[in-house]
Amino acid sequence: MAQRRAAPILDRRTFLQLSGVSSAAIALGIAAPEAAADESVNVPDGVFGLGVASGEPGARSVVLWTRLAPEPLAPDGHGGMPLRPVPVRWEVATDESFRRVVRRGTVVASPELAHAVHPHVDGLQPGREYFYRFTAGRQVSPVGRTKTLPARGELAASFSFATASCQAWYHGHFGAYRHMAAEELDAVFFVGDYIYEYGITDANLWRQGATVTPEHAVEIETLEQYRLRYALFKSDPHLQAVHALAPWIVTWDDHEVQNNYGADGSRYGVSPEHFVHLRAVAYRAFYENLPLSLSTLPDGPDAALYRRFDAGSLARFNILDTRQYRDAPPADTDDQYDERRTMLGPEQEQWLYDGMIGSPATWNVCVNGVTVAAITEDRTDQWDGYPAARRRLIDAMQQSTNPVVLTGDIHRHVAAELKADFADPSSSTVGVELICSSIASDGDGSPTDRYTPDWIQHPYVKLYDGRRGYVHCRMTPEELTSEFKIVQWIRADADAPLETVARFVTRAGTPGLEKQG
Amino acid sequence: MTTAAKVPAITGLDGEGELARIVLDWTPVPWETVVDHYAVYGVRGADDVDVEPDTLLAKTVYPYFEHRGLGGASEQWVYRVVTVDAAGSRSRPSAPVTISSVESVSVSGTPLAVVGEFDGKGLEFALSPDGYAQYNATFPDGVDFRYGTDQAGTGWSYLQPGPADSWAGRRDHLFRLRFDLAEVPTDDVDLALWLIDSHATIPGSAVLTVNGTEVDRLTFDGGATKGSTQGDSTVPGSPLKPSYIERTLPAGLLADGENTLELFKDDGSWIAYDAIGVFARAAG
Repeated sequence: MAQRRAAPILDRRTFLQLSGVSSAAIALGIAAPEAAADESVNVPDGVFGLGVASGEPGARSVVLWTRLAPEPLAPDGHGGMPLRPVPVRWEVATDESFRRVVRRGTVVASPELAHAVHPHVDGLQPGREYFYRFTAGRQVSPVGRTKTLPARGELAASFSFATASCQAWYHGHFGAYRHMAAEELDAVFFVGDYIYEYGITDANLWRQGATVTPEHAVEIETLEQYRLRYALFKSDPHLQAVHALAPWIVTWDDHEVQNNYGADGSRYGVSPEHFVHLRAVAYRAFYENLPLSLSTLPDGPDAALYRRFDAGSLARFNILDTRQYRDAPPADTDDQYDERRTMLGPEQEQWLYDGMIGSPATWNVCVNGVTVAAITEDRTDQWDGYPAARRRLIDAMQQSTNPVVLTGDIHRHVAAELKADFADPSSSTVGVELICSSIASDGDGSPTDRYTPDWIQHPYVKLYDGRRGYVHCRMTPEELTSEFKIVQWIRADADAPLETVARFVTRAGTPGLEKQG
Repeated sequence: MTTAAKVPAITGLDGEGELARIVLDWTPVPWETVVDHYAVYGVRGADDVDVEPDTLLAKTVYPYFEHRGLGGASEQWVYRVVTVDAAGSRSRPSAPVTISSVESVSVSGTPLAVVGEFDGKGLEFALSPDGYAQYNATFPDGVDFRYGTDQAGTGWSYLQPGPADSWAGRRDHLFRLRFDLAEVPTDDVDLALWLIDSHATIPGSAVLTVNGTEVDRLTFDGGATKGSTQGDSTVPGSPLKPSYIERTLPAGLLADGENTLELFKDDGSWIAYDAIGVFARAAG
């Protein structure tokens, strides 16, 4: 039997003694000196068990992501990694076989971030496809595909993307992602509820064939529990496949922290003074487990999530945070209609309007967690609970070009036209809202359900379907085509075929939804 | 990797003994330390606690811990807390603190009428743990329970709704406990009302009436809004937030023969029962 040479162990001091890269960048998994790379470093087998991902695309840059986890479901949340830093090399190539590597570098996976790394890669060409992979020790990750955004000012011929939300792993298989992984996409927009905080028990474990250990049975609270929950959800191969397919641009809704929370307010009796501690670990785990840029790394209980992406001059995507700054649920009707109520907080609201009004983009998109369209007065977790803020948003949309809202949250496909005055359905149509159903939350679902009448009572709601799926969109300078895709079942397996239940065209300059077919 | 010496220990560990629980709090470490959780260690009836797996009571992200499920007897516990940071490194243990819980009248007194067990669970009640949708059909006129004859599993609903509950008809709800006394206690007696949970934001209040005399309006603590679907607050990691009310009922309210104690929930949302009882005080 061959004798294995004892692998060297790199400690923090070793890294910090190396020059050229700041200690902060090293510690945060952003960059590290090339000299840190050492393929003889001992790394447990199966270290890329959570897959790879990319996100935050720019015209010349992208963020890559992986999290070393040879035992993703280790109860301490550290994925089976030793509690020491490990160097990780990355490569970006223009071909899938990595004959033409255009960028490479080294980062440090540290236990402070659950051995997640987020290397920021720049110097890329606009609007083109790249492939990437990681190496830790002698182990090489799966290959991921990513794509940069069109160049600044370029009016791209088209931009295709999918939207997804609400992936309650325990409610079923990710058959919708199995199909999404076969799409040709420039980006994926995730609009909230990447994880759920609830305990997973016999009562809600509907994913046939799946079992979980007792650690998963309790509502999550500590950082190790949030890390473990992300690992459980990310263990799904179809989710990993979509992460490896295209860059993701993500926002959160409530379940990344706690059901229906807002700002520092819990709906479950946790005082604001205490709730910020829960938010701090939840936001930390969100950053650790998704391909986000360093600007989103939380500072205590605060994290800067709202940001903007320009796909050349074709589309501007405003990624909103509809949780961290919102006012508390209304105490009464007077409170609900108070002109001062805010969903976004004053700073984000002004930032949004500044980015929408006078935007050079053909399409101006808000990517947000909760439904904007007016549905019922008692849906106070949605923009229905913030009517004055919605009116200000609609006003800003009217000063923008071709506004579009992408939403999740409700576990239903809904397509709605956004009205200048929702109380007057004959008022002008300002833009459209495309709400994607859940990937898994609520199990199989059905075309209609007990909530259907609330939605279709409005003439401006053009589609309602309660089955699982995603929305595929293709933008051109002339039109936006949205296809609402579903699978008939998810509880039994991930094998259900894909169906398109509705296709709409929205023409540039003519807001509205034209149903096709 | 952060060394243990660099992970700050918490300070200001203190606590208060209450009915069936001890509430600890402390000063959290500054935000500069990314905390995974605080590990709370405790042992009953000792001078100090060894920080080891066997004495780990809980991991919490909050600078606060409710040590629940201690039962009605007074218990003395000693605690220490360890900070665990995002890298998995641990601080040195905090200074210890010793706290005793308060004895319940359900232990010190003699039961005159009791429904349920004072054990942190509501599983013995009708419709528990999640049958609230059948409340209206099962208890259209509320609860009218005769101690000694009726059974908690059929006669006393696990939830007492309030007028804020649409699933219970958005109306007031009366729960009545009837019990016979062969001899009226000469001293004051005590009411013990233990809840495993309540609505988090609008637990509301209820009017307490004994033999037709309005005694008080009982105001309930906010719970976690989870007790409508879960019946055991003693399960490790349970999200339920129990609360406890024990108060004196003045001598003279009770009578020979049948007595009635009523809770009229005309404010807010539901409460979830652990147990309710009336207790005579021990002689002397």
